[in-house]
Amino acid sequence: MLFPTIEFGIFFLVVFAASWVARGTPEIRKLFLLGASYFFYGWWDWRFLALLFVSTLINYLAGLALARSARPGFRKFIVGVAVVAGLSILGFFKYYGFFLTSLSVLLETAGLTRDLPFMQVILPVGISFFTFQGISYVVDVYRGHVPAERSLPNVMLYISFFPQLVAGPIVRAADFLPQLHRPVSLTRAHIGVGVVLILSGLLKKMVVANYLATELVDPVFFDPAAVGALDLLVGVYGYAIQIYCDFSGYSDIAIGIAALLGYRFLENFDQPYRASSLQDFWRRWHISLSTWLRDYLYVPLGGNRHGEAKTYRNLFLTMFLGGIWHGAAWTFVFWGAFHGTMLAVERYARRQIEFFAPVETAPGGIMSALGNGAQHLVGILWTFHLVCFAWIFFRADSFATAGSYLAGFARWDEASQYVTPFMVGLIAIAMLFQFTPRHLGRWLARGVQYLPSPVLGLLLGGGIWLIWAIAPEGVAPFIYFQF
Amino acid sequence: MLDLLREIERELGGHPDEVSEAERIDAAATHRAVGRVLRAFAVVVALLFVFSSERLVTWVNGFEVGPVQDRVVSASTAWNALMAESGLTMPAEAVRAEVNDLRGMSWPEVRARLENEKARGREGARLLRGALFEEQG
Repeated sequence: MLFPTIEFGIFFLVVFAASWVARGTPEIRKLFLLGASYFFYGWWDWRFLALLFVSTLINYLAGLALARSARPGFRKFIVGVAVVAGLSILGFFKYYGFFLTSLSVLLETAGLTRDLPFMQVILPVGISFFTFQGISYVVDVYRGHVPAERSLPNVMLYISFFPQLVAGPIVRAADFLPQLHRPVSLTRAHIGVGVVLILSGLLKKMVVANYLATELVDPVFFDPAAVGALDLLVGVYGYAIQIYCDFSGYSDIAIGIAALLGYRFLENFDQPYRASSLQDFWRRWHISLSTWLRDYLYVPLGGNRHGEAKTYRNLFLTMFLGGIWHGAAWTFVFWGAFHGTMLAVERYARRQIEFFAPVETAPGGIMSALGNGAQHLVGILWTFHLVCFAWIFFRADSFATAGSYLAGFARWDEASQYVTPFMVGLIAIAMLFQFTPRHLGRWLARGVQYLPSPVLGLLLGGGIWLIWAIAPEGVAPFIYFQF
Repeated sequence: MLDLLREIERELGGHPDEVSEAERIDAAATHRAVGRVLRAFAVVVALLFVFSSERLVTWVNGFEVGPVQDRVVSASTAWNALMAESGLTMPAEAVRAEVNDLRGMSWPEVRARLENEKARGREGARLLRGALFEEQG
């Protein structure tokens, strides 16, 4: 059940109305939302409902065991078992085929042929997201950020809550579970934020991402050798916008739906292509994943507390594993390793610059302001192109395709096939929104929250009608569903 | 934008994690807000039923075959035909046609359109100046 479909519209109408009818009995409301979330997940593939439940049960029991034990060694053991169990389930479903294929290639290269136990493993949708949420719960309980939850339905609802279940944002236990213990309410702000986010998410996904995918990115990446350099260049810019609109569109809708049900999720994207460094980019892109990796991987590895060399190692390892999290393919491994390496290089370069040319703290004149502005602009362009370079590997189905894509940048004499004014216009408008005031959404939400219901209905209905009229036929799945 | 929600929570009762702000919100206020959203949803459904009836047909055509499904398909087809006869599907068709024009536009066409716009601008200015000269004359 994809968000921008009539099925989901009907599902949400029923869930919205029934969940607010049950507001007076919080436990029943939570059970109803839990049932709705399992129904939503079962709609994809009911066979994986048991997997979702078992994964949740392991984390719930680990939380209870942590609450009952005061011995540090035993508590560490429990966290270890829960994390290994969660990662083993994820590893089996996501990486089994990949590792066996890689092993087979390695053995063949070494002249050894073995019969390996290959089997067709279907990837359960959203497994990476609910596994990470489960780990977040156990580690947060271990660290004392959140008390162990006595109620199994609460943990089940936290992990399976349908707006974030299949593609995030990755919600933290310490952020969401306390909300389940408070009486839920719907304010004007929830309505304003919900409506603006749902409309912006639908526009991003159904119009921008879908047109860019079908009319530019898919054909260019299908056979990069068949097109010229201009198509390839605009194609990767288009992919940068497509993946942003696709994923942030999903996040917007998820956060908006949660707001209408009375819950608050954290922001997942913050105009990432206006970042002036890679570090800044990762503070703005898929924030729930980057902060998850920081808090549950980078910091436990030692973070920046054990000297420069270990900091670089930790940066690299965090991004490298972040790359593997995205998918079982060497192109994702390269993507993560590239980001990790460049983050380390960037940190090293910044420290050298700060050492040899310390930043002027005294207020400078107009020349100084111009210099800073130019430096910032160069930073934005450089970061955007680094990110685009890495996107080529992220999108390409193999190293051969990525290599062919890069080689194609020499073919500037070939006429463009896919760079139409419509595509360039879409990319330009989407890029423009990366540089609008940060509080634009907030201002819009402030305006919407005071609209009377008929006007609110006209705005929402008119918005959906317009998006349906503009958007191409059919609904493409969200890119992040595959992760 | 989400800081707006946090701000509301804080306004209602301090830090969201410390004080149960929702406890302070009157249940009646939530009740009114829910009613407001439900009324808005009713408008949304009515709007889409009337002005996007062809999407309804596309959707029901994806149903499996069966007596109930067949009835739903024929009812929605009849409804869409009625809306089309009344001219209520025309706005969506006009928007789609405009978007298709934009999609199909080539770079020389964009250049020609821009030249046209410029020429119209120049003509407007010339006419305005002419009118001024006539007045002065």
